[in-house]
Amino acid sequence: MAALPGNLDGIRILDLTREPGFFAGKLLGDLGADVVKVEPPGGDPARRRPPFWGGIADPERSLLWLAMNTSKRGVTLDLARPRGRALFLELAARADAVLETEPTPGLGWPELRAQNPRLVHVALTPFGEAGPRAGWRGSDLTVTAMSGNLYSTGDPDRAPVRCSLPVSYYHGGIEAALGVAFALLARERTGEGQHADVALQEAMVMPNIGTAAMCKMTGNRGARAGAFMRQERSVAREIWPCKDGFVSFALRGGPARIPGLVAMVKYLDEHGMASAALRARDWKAYNHNLLTQAEVDELSREFGAFFLSKTMGELYRAACERNLMLAPINNAREIAASTQLAAREFFVEVENPGRGRLRYPGACARSNASAIGIRRPAPRLGEHTAEVLGELGVGAAELARLRAEGVV
Amino acid sequence: MTDLFAGTTILEFGGGAAGPVATRYFADHGATVIRVESRQRPDFLRTLRLTPDSPGGLDGAHHFAVLNANKLSVALNLSRPEGVAVARRLALWADAVAENFAPGAMAKWGLDYASLVKERPDLVMISTCLNGQTGPERHYPGFGGQGSALAGFNHLTGWPDREPVGPFGTITDSLSPRFAALLLASALLHRRRTGEGQHIDLAQVEGGIVCLTESMITWAANGEILGRMGNRSRHEAPHGVFPCAGKDRWVAIVVHDDEDWRRLVRALGEPAWAADAAYATVAGRLARVDELERRLADWTAPRQAAEVAELLQAAGVEAGPAEDFGDLHEDPQLAHRRHFREVEHAVLGRHPVETHAMRFSAMEPRIQSAAPRLGEHTEHVLRELLGMGREEFVRLRAVGVFE
Repeated sequence: MAALPGNLDGIRILDLTREPGFFAGKLLGDLGADVVKVEPPGGDPARRRPPFWGGIADPERSLLWLAMNTSKRGVTLDLARPRGRALFLELAARADAVLETEPTPGLGWPELRAQNPRLVHVALTPFGEAGPRAGWRGSDLTVTAMSGNLYSTGDPDRAPVRCSLPVSYYHGGIEAALGVAFALLARERTGEGQHADVALQEAMVMPNIGTAAMCKMTGNRGARAGAFMRQERSVAREIWPCKDGFVSFALRGGPARIPGLVAMVKYLDEHGMASAALRARDWKAYNHNLLTQAEVDELSREFGAFFLSKTMGELYRAACERNLMLAPINNAREIAASTQLAAREFFVEVENPGRGRLRYPGACARSNASAIGIRRPAPRLGEHTAEVLGELGVGAAELARLRAEGVV
Repeated sequence: MTDLFAGTTILEFGGGAAGPVATRYFADHGATVIRVESRQRPDFLRTLRLTPDSPGGLDGAHHFAVLNANKLSVALNLSRPEGVAVARRLALWADAVAENFAPGAMAKWGLDYASLVKERPDLVMISTCLNGQTGPERHYPGFGGQGSALAGFNHLTGWPDREPVGPFGTITDSLSPRFAALLLASALLHRRRTGEGQHIDLAQVEGGIVCLTESMITWAANGEILGRMGNRSRHEAPHGVFPCAGKDRWVAIVVHDDEDWRRLVRALGEPAWAADAAYATVAGRLARVDELERRLADWTAPRQAAEVAELLQAAGVEAGPAEDFGDLHEDPQLAHRRHFREVEHAVLGRHPVETHAMRFSAMEPRIQSAAPRLGEHTEHVLRELLGMGREEFVRLRAVGVFE
């Protein structure tokens, strides 16, 4: 990360979050902020969560921890003790923002604000800090259930289903980071910090892409269609089996999509797999919403048979060359082998001291004039305690006392 | 209080969700967001369900309306040089430019960062598309459904014995606007502090993969491919969605640890089956998860989802009803946060739109206007905001530049 500055260089952030908020601090760190993860002396619970690197159950080898805490320094501090809280308040006096996912007694927004009126404080919680369900417990599955997003995901003959990694924490994490950025922009005008209350449930309504708000006009309360997509008069496949996996491809029309359908028929035809009827179809007049189920099934039979004769790799290469709106259902191995990502040098090697190098997804975006991306590996437990407390003027003798007392 | 972005102008090119949802964050805090649109190539959300007898035509699309409140619309025909020239003046005047066209489209018009920055050295601009502005697959033409597949979300969503499905709503279309808003806000902060602008290239697929870092480094570290596992968790049980009374009604129940399990057993009324010592530990529950889920489903099946959730939450156990889109409008927590807010639309009448998930102590998201009709604000923006003279405006209008 050569000479370019980060957009958030010089911004200091204290990160008290548990798993639902890890991503917020990581992103702010990737943008250049100095993010200090504050853990209890026993370590964050995520450190005890499998999967572990090499299968070795070790707090420095939890892949969840290692994934979501890059670009942060790490300290331990027992916030249940007065001395731990006092040290945190000293850190907060010099910080620009604090991130949390649950309240810490004695270290709420009023106490922190009294210490530092310029401080920004962002709390990411399942349902928000006030309201009839503010006291409800919630994690990814529950907040997704209560957002409308779960109900319409999955097969019609089974329960609604979530993504097996916690998507709401990614949505909520970005929104919490945005809360920090907006409050910092506001501080440029007012000179004062403020508090932001960010709710995971509410953050998961937007991923319905307007369908929730439209329900009042369309009456569409949502439904599950599995690998299919509902159209006006039929359901049409969107996820298709191919020779070695699955691909995503839609039979939908419209000006943006019809050229891709025409190109797909040409591709089938070159392999002798397009029927006379398919070749003769007038695509200019094609409107998927007018198709009957029988017509959809007929089209699907031909496309489906063709996909089964090809691999995901073959089909995606053809999609890129021929402008087909078809994509492979990639897993991690296939993503790691992407030529596009290699050409953009997306993956980066991160050295984890004592454990080795790991290939990580790099920056969420790139800029011609600022550095975005991983600044440092996820911290080992207490790795920067001496360094960070040293910045407060805590010397070696006092640090030894704090360690003996179990404060750090 | 003054809105955070009062006096800030963002010019928006493009359509769909991935671009336009990003600028809503700024519009809801007072930014003047101006969409550059054209009747020649309308935003596909304006045409999604369009038929010859759709009320309002391009101005009556529900999907466009719910995503584009609080914005202004200028109609400019970019296939004409005069239209491009006006777009360029707007871009050089605005505080920031956001676009989500296919890579190369802005350059074709001379509206790309490299062209604009020569006259506007502190330009802040963000471009977002599926695969990014560079690389051999930059011209790949997919929509969000393809982005979700490429980034790995579909593979992780669904049942292990069935085909993958995508999270509803093409997830790269909802992650990207959040990333874009964060990146744009950070760039505006940087310019405020240093005077420097920048161009940001957000590849929607890459943003999605960064979210799934756990999956990517699990492959890198262990050669293990994380897959879809229904609603189950690798380290907690029960962790699932269970049937309830009524048609297609469900409740999510999550037991994080052994203490939660004891709370759940008490809430169930200590049935004999739950007393089995094998269930007392997470390892025991994970080993017999099929049977455990069947038992729990037997208990939830005759009960209302809301009733189960209330009862379990009162007992300190995490649970929540699977709400459909209609239920969200009755949800007391979303109502408390005023997630949905009504606007008056020229064609659609009163309808709800959403705001974001942040509530600040010293500023408030505000929705002041419904989504614009195509070109509704052409005259206002060009004459009053940009300062175009009347003669020029009339001349350009007469030759069809504002179409």
